[in-house]
Amino acid sequence: MVFTETKRYYVERRVRERMRATGSRTFASYFARLRIDAMAEVEQLVNAFTINETYFYREKHQLECLTNDLLADRVNPRSGRNGNGNNPIRIWSVPCSTGEEPYSIAIWLLENWPRVDEFDIEVIGSDIDTKVLEAARIAEFGKRALAQLPAGLVGRYFDDLGDNRWRVVEDLRGSVRFTPVNLIEPAETASFGRFDVIFCRNVLIYFDDASRRVAAENLYDSLLPGGFLCLGHTESMSRISPLFEVRRFSDAIVYQRPETAA
Amino acid sequence: MPLIRKDAAANTQSGAAPRDRRRPIDLLRSGTADERRSAARAIADLAHAGAPADMRISDGTKALGEAIKTETDLRVREAIFTSLVRIGGGESVDVVVSCLRMDDAQLRTGALDAMRAMMGDVRPVLPDLLADPDTDIRILTCDLVRDLPPADATRLLCEVLARETNANVCAAAVDVLADIGEAEALPFLEACSGRFDDVTFLTFAITLATERIIAGRPVQNE
Repeated sequence: MVFTETKRYYVERRVRERMRATGSRTFASYFARLRIDAMAEVEQLVNAFTINETYFYREKHQLECLTNDLLADRVNPRSGRNGNGNNPIRIWSVPCSTGEEPYSIAIWLLENWPRVDEFDIEVIGSDIDTKVLEAARIAEFGKRALAQLPAGLVGRYFDDLGDNRWRVVEDLRGSVRFTPVNLIEPAETASFGRFDVIFCRNVLIYFDDASRRVAAENLYDSLLPGGFLCLGHTESMSRISPLFEVRRFSDAIVYQRPETAA
Repeated sequence: MPLIRKDAAANTQSGAAPRDRRRPIDLLRSGTADERRSAARAIADLAHAGAPADMRISDGTKALGEAIKTETDLRVREAIFTSLVRIGGGESVDVVVSCLRMDDAQLRTGALDAMRAMMGDVRPVLPDLLADPDTDIRILTCDLVRDLPPADATRLLCEVLARETNANVCAAAVDVLADIGEAEALPFLEACSGRFDDVTFLTFAITLATERIIAGRPVQNE
């Protein structure tokens, strides 16, 4: 993460919050605490900086692209996939924040992909922020997060907890794995194996140029040959790395790891 | 539900390649394209983790520098540049700058992108590059200056305008000043326009840059 001078106030506010939370009376004492990572303070500070605003079915056009084009490409006859239970389709949502995106992907597939029962599908959500991962596992959401979901889907995939709170049904909660990852650590991203589709939306914009290059390399390595990368609508991989091919589909522009090496 | 969940910490299905016992530097020289790419990335990982006893960081940088000159696989080149960015420092900068002098346009573009990503390390060599005997290097460097804070960029490009004899280099500097230049550039632009008054495209570009800088100036209290 890189914050320029214009974000000074943003940084100061969060550092002050952490100083208050840790009872540090001066910045020097807080910084000393940070340097020795007392009580995992580095992680707490990172958590304070990550922005977790999201909602179900955000950028729905990419979900439409997933079922209309991307998965068809991934399971075409030359892929060798036969739906026999091995070689599952693997989808990674990173960063996943409090879980809206990976649960959205799961719901969207169950509702909109006619071949959903032919294949095993693995959906993994990852984030650097361990607090949001815990929230994702609990999977309780308010009205605003669900605003874009048709009422029928809310009824089918959520338990109404009352007081404008809903919880993802147990079956669906049990189907999505949540796990921490730092996108710019090659060893961490490599441990997840390779994916057919990666949703990596609105995070690269927070990285500096060097970190962005490393993240792009890691994402490339995390894709199967021919796998797809979906970025946020304001982001472009073309400005970061030449490793990917641009694919223009009717619903979205996505990036593809070439089937064969350049 | 067709959704499955595997709780194993690591998924081995087509996952990361098993670690090769050969040294990354050797693999970078003689491996397959995939091995060379992994080796290039591993060299930066090792440098970050503290290079092992049998590999000094400068050995890794040197190996990357040798490899980039002969490497033809785009993915491996990209990994080499990224590793040079990650390792950083003067030796990495020297390697990347040397790629600016190559005939291969892709390599030059890769080098420029890498330099933008390591601007902190590149910053000290910019004045020399802006005065390089090679016109192309001076032109390419003018665009790199765009990534500096406006005051620093303006100062460096004003120095270029004051001494430069090549109209194309001046045009490259003017192009950047038109976007981020500060008022201090105005007299330098005027003087440059006077020196190149027979080069129509340049005087036009200078007029445009001057108008933009004036339009962007804060209103002065009389």
